[in-house]
Amino acid sequence: MSDNLTRPLSMEREQKRLLQDVQSLEVKISVKNLCFFYDDHQALFDNTLDIFQNRVTAIIGPSGCGKSTHIRAYNRIYEMYRGYRATGEVWLDQENILSPSQDLIQLRKKVGMIFQKPTPFPISVFENVAYGLRLHFKMSRGELAAKVEDALKRAALWEEVKDKLDQSGLAFSGGQQQRLCIARAISVEPEVLLMDEPTSAIDPLATSKIEELIESLKQKYTIVIVTHNMQQAARISDFTAFFYEGHIVEFGATRQVFTNPAKKQTEDYITGRFG
Amino acid sequence: MKARSLFARRLSDYLIKILSALAALIAIFALGWILSVVVSRGVSAFNLDFFTKLPTPPGISGGGLANAILGTLLITALASLIGIPIGMLAGVYLAEFGLDRPFASMIRFAANVVMGMPSIIIGVFVYTLVVKPARHFSGYAGAIALAIIMLPLIARTSEDMLRLVPNSLRESALALGAPRWKVTLGVVFRSAKTGLITGALLALARISGETAPLLFTALNSSYWMRSPKEPTANLTVTIFNYAMSPYPDWKAKAWGASLLIMIAVLALSIFSRWIFREKKIRKG
Repeated sequence: MSDNLTRPLSMEREQKRLLQDVQSLEVKISVKNLCFFYDDHQALFDNTLDIFQNRVTAIIGPSGCGKSTHIRAYNRIYEMYRGYRATGEVWLDQENILSPSQDLIQLRKKVGMIFQKPTPFPISVFENVAYGLRLHFKMSRGELAAKVEDALKRAALWEEVKDKLDQSGLAFSGGQQQRLCIARAISVEPEVLLMDEPTSAIDPLATSKIEELIESLKQKYTIVIVTHNMQQAARISDFTAFFYEGHIVEFGATRQVFTNPAKKQTEDYITGRFG
Repeated sequence: MKARSLFARRLSDYLIKILSALAALIAIFALGWILSVVVSRGVSAFNLDFFTKLPTPPGISGGGLANAILGTLLITALASLIGIPIGMLAGVYLAEFGLDRPFASMIRFAANVVMGMPSIIIGVFVYTLVVKPARHFSGYAGAIALAIIMLPLIARTSEDMLRLVPNSLRESALALGAPRWKVTLGVVFRSAKTGLITGALLALARISGETAPLLFTALNSSYWMRSPKEPTANLTVTIFNYAMSPYPDWKAKAWGASLLIMIAVLALSIFSRWIFREKKIRKG
């Protein structure tokens, strides 16, 4: 009840705070006129947006609107496939990562990714987390063990696996596997974490655990999350971009996009009239 | 419209069942017959001498096929040493890099052709390529011929097994900043491990019964092999020679050799199936 009464006032205050917030925020990734092509089919059209540092940006939109395609440009993972290409600019700090001279290994160390389906490697829990560490650092056995433990702790998985580090990563539940993947991704100290529908394949309880985790991870990382679940976007993100048919229809503070969208299309999608 | 008679439907269903069961029975009966004859005739040839002694000249009883057993093991091992790595790497190329490129499609087509080729042609091919220039038969030539038979088999099964590995696994390794070769060798290979081993074992089983390609390459010998550069004794050509001979003692040895090969092939097949099943059980 009281919430309803105070709402207009607090919303105004919230808006103001956010506005100040945006001005004080640093831009981590700046996307300019990003277009994407699957062979001859264009999937993204002139995407332009800024991703703010240490904030969670949610990307929402109906299936097939290009959400995943968009974030898959941030680490150029699409290059695994022939005939896929991106044009435009994606600035990470001071570098245009789409430039051909960009070193992909360096880029992917800086920009980690979590996928829809948990993808533990068919090796032990320990080796899963150590995999990335071994790729990028030279360290002693002891240092490695400490780093693995640290990553598992930060992924809120340590308590559940500390006695099972030798077991195959495949032997755990979907939610645990996904947190293992998060541990693996953050072990190499990336600066950005891309999450492509990280909770769509796991149960609600595990989902809430991962959402809590995202909340805590944003202290250290810049997070971009693609999600189908609008409640999730509203719960965990600071900024939201609404995609439709490869275009960014609207981008703004999450609170504003959800309560007072500027575009009719956004409103229709959020209120469930389509999508 | 009149409904079809229920009786006619039941009858045709019954007849088809009987016919297909009969066909299956004939196939199994042939296998059972061969197995039982080979086992009953072969077992009597087995004794310590069979596994430890050199063959004797016709007419003199006793002796064994130790040199042929050793030769077959050696030729098969050499063939695997050549065929498995090259075949697997070809599979890696097809599954990981070639994909639908024209060159890869060409290789795939060529592999299918070689797989369907009668093995005697491969024997003659290696004969002209290796045996003739060297002017003598050799164990190496035999190994090369068998490796050529293995190559397309292993390349194609490896490709299939690697393709079963979901791309999401490759992506997540690449996304960690792993170079492509490390993704393939460290993650994709491990994931497809049982499939790759099964493919190699089945190829091994396939070549261990080959005779024709060895006839033109390794030939045979009644002595211990001193080096694979020489004609090398092996079980299949021994079966070919001994089974056609008029000497009962040699014929008995041919049965023994047949049984030995059959057991080896059976063991390889069962082993590869077992490995494959283990994995499935573990995965739940």
